[in-house]
Amino acid sequence: MTTYAVTPEATKASVETALGPLLKRSFVRLGELTIFVDAADYLQAAKILRDDPGCRFEQLMDLCGVDYSTYKDEPQVGLRFCVVCHLLSVSLNQRVRLKVFAPDDNFPVVQSLCDIWNSANWFEREAFDLFGIVFEGHADLRRILTDYGFIGHPFRKDFPVSGHVEMRYDAEQKRVVYQPVTIEPREITPRIIREENYGGVH
Amino acid sequence: MIEGVLKEGFITTTYDTVMNWAKTGSLWPATFGLACCAVEMMQSAAARYDISRFGAEVFRASPRQADLIIVAGTLCNKMAPAFRKVYDQIAEPRWVISMGSCANGGGYYHYSYSVVRGCDRIVPVDIYVPGCPPTAEALLYGIIQLQHKIRRTQTIART
Repeated sequence: MTTYAVTPEATKASVETALGPLLKRSFVRLGELTIFVDAADYLQAAKILRDDPGCRFEQLMDLCGVDYSTYKDEPQVGLRFCVVCHLLSVSLNQRVRLKVFAPDDNFPVVQSLCDIWNSANWFEREAFDLFGIVFEGHADLRRILTDYGFIGHPFRKDFPVSGHVEMRYDAEQKRVVYQPVTIEPREITPRIIREENYGGVH
Repeated sequence: MIEGVLKEGFITTTYDTVMNWAKTGSLWPATFGLACCAVEMMQSAAARYDISRFGAEVFRASPRQADLIIVAGTLCNKMAPAFRKVYDQIAEPRWVISMGSCANGGGYYHYSYSVVRGCDRIVPVDIYVPGCPPTAEALLYGIIQLQHKIRRTQTIART
């Protein structure tokens, strides 16, 4: 049994007290606390989580996007895009996972956390690049990983793995050019299907 | 042969032999490490494998001072124009070694949306070194193969 300096249950209690009605849902699973807030309350909740004496989450460890459109290989339930933040309080030795769903599936927008934690800057650019989630209030929301002029958001579940274009050198134009993708999509159905309890494992 | 030099003070040979001896004996690679292959490339340059035994130890930070480029790692779409620019800046005669699966043909990332499926789509390649990543010995073998290839060159002009 893992021992915690501050148990996730204790963190849950103090976060619930601090956020009050802003907190929509929370649970402790695998020794980690996850909380949900509405997109409208996101910025306010983040500020409380940083400043409240019972929370004091000084650091934003990670921020990423999630596309729930094919979650569990089932039809989509609820909203599609989610932004997940991992917060750490060094002074109180506790962590929390903060999740917020973007209200509009076709144009996902949530507030930017840059003014609360500086580290959000590049993480939000990454989530924008890969998922197309727009962070309102971000000072410099450009692509960060994909090529200049890239079209689409590659981590969306409806984006093909091989993309739409590929690169080659054009001897006549004397420069590197994009052309439509020439390879066939790969068959990724597993060839070996393990049965339940195969070989006595699990 | 050395007796002839000592006695007469000169030897006769062909122009190609001298040129190719000079080219093979002092390859100057441009530093172009892109991924994990670069670590193996560093190993081949370090004390244990010691690329300098084959006359290629001085990795240059500028393509203008190099005549060989070792593509060591995954070549991404975003990197490809920069890579071509670096290659174009190398003075002739110049050679390219493609090191590792990713540079040879995309490798693990062959089906990716952001990776060039082989650096020979961007520049002409002389030697392909297979492996993921290739060992330092494999890269040394590739360099020796390149030296053999250079020795076969018949004229100064690149064909």
